[in-house]
Amino acid sequence: MQVAIEGPWSPLFGRLTLDAIPYNNPIIVPTFIVAALAGLVAVGAVLYYKKLGYIWREWLCSVDHKKIGVMYIILGLVMLFRGYADGLMIRTQQAIAIGPNSPGFLGAKHGYLPPFHFDQIYSAHGTIMLIFAATPLLTGLGNVIVPLQIGARDMAFPYLNATSLWLTFAGAALVMISLFVGEFSSATWVGLMPYSEMASNPGVGVDYWMWAIQISSIGTTFNSINIIATIVKMRAPGMTWFKLPVFSWVQLTTAIIGLTAFPILTVALTMLGIDRYLGTHFFTAGMGGNFMLYINLFWIWGHPEVYFLVLPAFGVLSEVVPAFSRKALFGYPTMVAASFSIAGIGWMVWAHHFFTMGMGPNQIGFFSAATMIVGIPTGVKAFNWLFTMYRGRISYETPMLWAMISIVLLLIGGLTGMMLSASVIDYSVHDSVFVVAHFHCMVLVIGASAFAAVIFWWPKVFGFKLNETLGKWFFWTFIAGSLLVFVPMFMAGLAGETRRLDYVFNTALAPYMLWEEVGVLVYLASIFFFVAMLVVSLWQRVPAGESPWGTERGLEWLTRTPVPFYNFAVTPHVNALDETSWRREVGAALRPTRYVPIHLPHGSGLPFILGMDVFAWGFALTWRIDWLIVLTTIAMIAIVFIRSFDRNEGFIIPAEEVEAYEANISTASIFAEQPKRGHGLVGEAH
Amino acid sequence: MRVLGLVALLAPLMLAGCSVHDMVLFFPAGPMAASELHYTYLITGIMMVIIVPTLLMSIWFPIKYHISRQHKEKYTPDWTFSYAIEVLAWGIPLGIVAVLAWLSVHGIRGIDPWNPPLLAKIAPNAPVEEVDVIATDWQWVFIYPAEKLVTIDELTIPAGARIDLKLTATQNMDGFYIPQVAPMVDAMPAMQTKDTFLVSQPGDFTGFSTDFSGAGFSWMRFAVHAVSTADFAAWVQSHQGAAPLDYAAFDAHIAQPQVNYGATPSYFTLTDPKLFGEVISAAQMGKTYPVSQALNKAVADDDAAPVAGAQ
Repeated sequence: MQVAIEGPWSPLFGRLTLDAIPYNNPIIVPTFIVAALAGLVAVGAVLYYKKLGYIWREWLCSVDHKKIGVMYIILGLVMLFRGYADGLMIRTQQAIAIGPNSPGFLGAKHGYLPPFHFDQIYSAHGTIMLIFAATPLLTGLGNVIVPLQIGARDMAFPYLNATSLWLTFAGAALVMISLFVGEFSSATWVGLMPYSEMASNPGVGVDYWMWAIQISSIGTTFNSINIIATIVKMRAPGMTWFKLPVFSWVQLTTAIIGLTAFPILTVALTMLGIDRYLGTHFFTAGMGGNFMLYINLFWIWGHPEVYFLVLPAFGVLSEVVPAFSRKALFGYPTMVAASFSIAGIGWMVWAHHFFTMGMGPNQIGFFSAATMIVGIPTGVKAFNWLFTMYRGRISYETPMLWAMISIVLLLIGGLTGMMLSASVIDYSVHDSVFVVAHFHCMVLVIGASAFAAVIFWWPKVFGFKLNETLGKWFFWTFIAGSLLVFVPMFMAGLAGETRRLDYVFNTALAPYMLWEEVGVLVYLASIFFFVAMLVVSLWQRVPAGESPWGTERGLEWLTRTPVPFYNFAVTPHVNALDETSWRREVGAALRPTRYVPIHLPHGSGLPFILGMDVFAWGFALTWRIDWLIVLTTIAMIAIVFIRSFDRNEGFIIPAEEVEAYEANISTASIFAEQPKRGHGLVGEAH
Repeated sequence: MRVLGLVALLAPLMLAGCSVHDMVLFFPAGPMAASELHYTYLITGIMMVIIVPTLLMSIWFPIKYHISRQHKEKYTPDWTFSYAIEVLAWGIPLGIVAVLAWLSVHGIRGIDPWNPPLLAKIAPNAPVEEVDVIATDWQWVFIYPAEKLVTIDELTIPAGARIDLKLTATQNMDGFYIPQVAPMVDAMPAMQTKDTFLVSQPGDFTGFSTDFSGAGFSWMRFAVHAVSTADFAAWVQSHQGAAPLDYAAFDAHIAQPQVNYGATPSYFTLTDPKLFGEVISAAQMGKTYPVSQALNKAVADDDAAPVAGAQ
């Protein structure tokens, strides 16, 4: 049944042999030692402080949307660091390997990485940054904030929510283990076709890439279903559609994109999988295959995916800019319209990713014009943020600094994006590093907004603020690094440097490469300040009070701070778009005076176990270990079966207990351990 | 902060290294690239109409309305909508996009690489030189059907002539690109694309692959020599009698995955006029040139065995 594969195969271990472990690689071995030591320290600390039970019950088994969101964000930050390490290695290779006389180290002819390693590194960089860093960061933010902004107890499907998280986690774990067992794909994050087929890629790298994305994108699809159901069905009484905060609006548009676009990727990758495992010819060049079909399918997902990432960032800006301008968001209805326009037009622009693949001028003209149209609603958003600042009272707290630089980066990214959408310009810079610099500008918008959001909502979740001084150091070093990397990269693009070069033959590019190397090293300083900010803030834990910024506007600030595990003690009635600031202005009560019992779902270990099982399934498929594929598939079905007969309907917190929590809010915080609660519903709940 | 200090020290040194002449896209050597540059200026210039004021606003507003100036500036916390501003916020981008989209469509129709009206207008009587291009893993093969000549990693062309390229690839997609001269067009296995250009004056350029195709991709460059018509004839003459090349020889040697690290050119006599078509049909019939993991690992790795056919 299987196609012919290169190298040995055994029934017990599949393609896995001792040679798959790069024990003689001078870069991977130290990385492994450091990672293993860090892992041992973490596990040791958990065991030493006897926190294993706590972590299992309160985190791994949690179905609380806030904890799931926080775990998403932690995953995103860890993968962001891994992605940065890849970026540092890419830049260092290109800074050394310039021209025929450039030195070679560690066995490489030029630089220190032969193409076999270099190609895996930039493929991992792209895959990780988009799928396993940006996506979890933004999904996590949506998870934490959306139920709070709409006045809900939790997501519509808390158990499905945990399943989404652990599927994403399983995908990320596959990417990470590819570093130490076997290899990663060299076919870039998009999976170049027919290059990803067996003829050019007989190793396991593409399989790792394919299953990692496949698994995590199923998690993302689930999460989109969850967000849509939550926003449509679970808004607090009084919250009409036009009292829905913009961040929740963009989460809805994003989830619609996620629900409709990700299945296309699932189909495309499944077809690629059938090609690679059963020897069909969907995407091969010959035998009736059509690799253009893959390229179309991939980008029909891939371009909406770009807006899937950037729209939540726009949503963050629409929350942060008003807060620190002490002024309501300008042009709320057109902001909503613009979000839906971007999401809609995002479906009609995919072919601009392959303008140079022989399309006729009429098709190119259509996709070029369609791409430019995206610029209209995006421009509207920029103007609305600027007019939110106009006649406001602006202060420069760190979230606002990140928001302001996001707008500037959006303008640079927008300018270069418009240039690239004009295919006549694209013919000279398509596939050059000019494009790379352009989309890094856009993902920096996403990154900067994510940092703004994390810092802005941090006290809401944890009850203390992040250190502002270190936060500002983090900001300025990050911006300095970005300028030093991406300004020379734009220039190198105009000098005709193409993407994905292991070896740069044009020696005139040397100064640009050195500038970029300096920039990428400055990022190291920003990582230091970021970690310092986290450590110092966690150490000090200065209570933030009920109004940490003094300028909060939305419904999410109506809960106690830190937010208790049941969110709102009593589901609020919503009167205005900016409910908290409205209540402050009219002098309405911010807190309930009478409490009622609360119904919450029980935690469950099954999503975590399912995630681990799916990880083993992906690993077995990658290495073609047939018995393990069968075993893990059966386990998956069994887990779903067990869950289907789970009659546990959650638990009730009596009104007096809610009152006690509200009186001493730290006992209900995200860190607090909750008592074991009985099964079954007793009494009336709200 | 030592890192920032180092930056300050290195900055003048490294700035001196950058030269505007490195940015070759600003120095086109033929009408196709000149047209691309023309539209780059035009479209960027029009974008500045909206980018510059917006950028100024995004810097000026946070300064002007900073909380420290609250006693000097107006504060309108409830001012959230204005039809006039919204009409402008949608209208100005709409107008600019309309102009840019028209320019983009107009521009791309002018330089359509299949048959550019631009060249027909500028040089209607330019002689036509046909070259067929095959991207292998990882070399460029140029076939001159009229001259019965095949070169590897060297494209010599008469200046002032219209160069009609047909492109394909043996196994993977590559991007054919000569900055300053020819638009970027992909060479795709089992398919044929076209690129057309004209080099105005004799000169030397470098072309390379822009679309990643595997371990040897970084070394896929080729020399481009635009020479006078007389020199071109002399160049063709000088390579008469080179080793013969038919499909069998191409399949057995040239098309096998290999890296030409120095991009050293080589020359053959074309004995099979259908070679280009045969490469496309073979790919359509499922012909591949498998790249083993051992070969992938060996490219540019001093510790590994040398790559087959490497020079």
